[in-house]
Amino acid sequence: MVDLPKKKVGIVACSGEELAEGTVTRLAALKVLEHLRPADTVTICLPLFLAGGAGDRAFARFYPTIAVDGCEQRCAARATEMYSSKPAASIMVRELVAENNLGQPEGKRCLNGAGLQAVDVTAERIAALVDDLLEKRWNRRAGTFAGPQDTPIPPQDSAETEKVATCSCGSGIPIQKVIISGQEVTLVALPLIFEQFREAGKSPGDATMHEMMDTVKIYNLVPAEAEPTYTTAILREYTTFWEQKNIIFQEYAR
Amino acid sequence: MTEAKQKVVIVPCSGIGKTYGSVSRQAGYVVVEDLRPEDTQLAALSLLVMGDEASRAMLAGNPAITIDGCKLACATKMVRESGGVVAQDFAVLDVYRRYKQFKPQGIAELNEGGEQLARALAEEIVGIVDHITSGSGGRR
Repeated sequence: MVDLPKKKVGIVACSGEELAEGTVTRLAALKVLEHLRPADTVTICLPLFLAGGAGDRAFARFYPTIAVDGCEQRCAARATEMYSSKPAASIMVRELVAENNLGQPEGKRCLNGAGLQAVDVTAERIAALVDDLLEKRWNRRAGTFAGPQDTPIPPQDSAETEKVATCSCGSGIPIQKVIISGQEVTLVALPLIFEQFREAGKSPGDATMHEMMDTVKIYNLVPAEAEPTYTTAILREYTTFWEQKNIIFQEYAR
Repeated sequence: MTEAKQKVVIVPCSGIGKTYGSVSRQAGYVVVEDLRPEDTQLAALSLLVMGDEASRAMLAGNPAITIDGCKLACATKMVRESGGVVAQDFAVLDVYRRYKQFKPQGIAELNEGGEQLARALAEEIVGIVDHITSGSGGRR
């Protein structure tokens, strides 16, 4: 069964290679991803916002994201906002070091004692923020926290408890480009939605499309006046997808 | 007037979730801090992403060697997008194919195989650095 991604929190570390604090951000993010909150977090490399595709740039809209920066330049927070969406939270290692009266982190390759302390403090702060953000409702269409009137995110899949750190390198959020009224529109999560509906045996048709559009609208902004044209275009794409999958299945069954 | 010495810019990937990313960064540090500190300097990808003027200027005046941890080649793409010249691009996976005796593991902390692979990669990078700084080429 294909599942749409459960609610997770994204972590974007600056990873600044030229500063010990950059190493702190990377190790703190890893500690959260691998040990403190492995089932609830996902990450993406900062450069993928530029070097990757539309799916990568949808990251901070899809996941409430914590930017973790080493220094005052705040590259992670600024780049995330510039290329994806405003981070839900932002922390900076130098501020945490000052707040906690830690020593100066040193050693880009091998952190000194103060640097290792900074990793622990930063990781704990990230984990606390993860817990806070998971309590709130996130609107994946808008890339902001949802108000009470907004569509809730899908319920979390309790079966998804695998304890692994998730790196989004090269995957990002699955997207599909669809021609709607002559314009190319990027729809987030559409490939997963198609797969999920097909596996449930829901063939293309009016009844299926009503339900499918409800799901599509969780992840994408569909203007009310344009919904009929979106529905027509997505039905066309889903019909193609359905037929191709059936052909593959029939050939495999021979 | 003495012309400022050209320093080759080493740009490793910022990979956070995979071993090859860690190898790329470690190799960069070995070159810049241990093997050729006088001839090389490190550039941070995050600064290039933000279009940092000093980093762009560094790339404008010096050839770059990029070290990518995966096929997405963020380091190479970002250097080119920042107006830099990639003298040589390394992909850690390709390097690993040449040194299969080293089995890299670990992300936060590389195992011995990872450290050895990083060292082997660093030695290859140094060969390119020396080629460039001797004035015999390198720009592609």
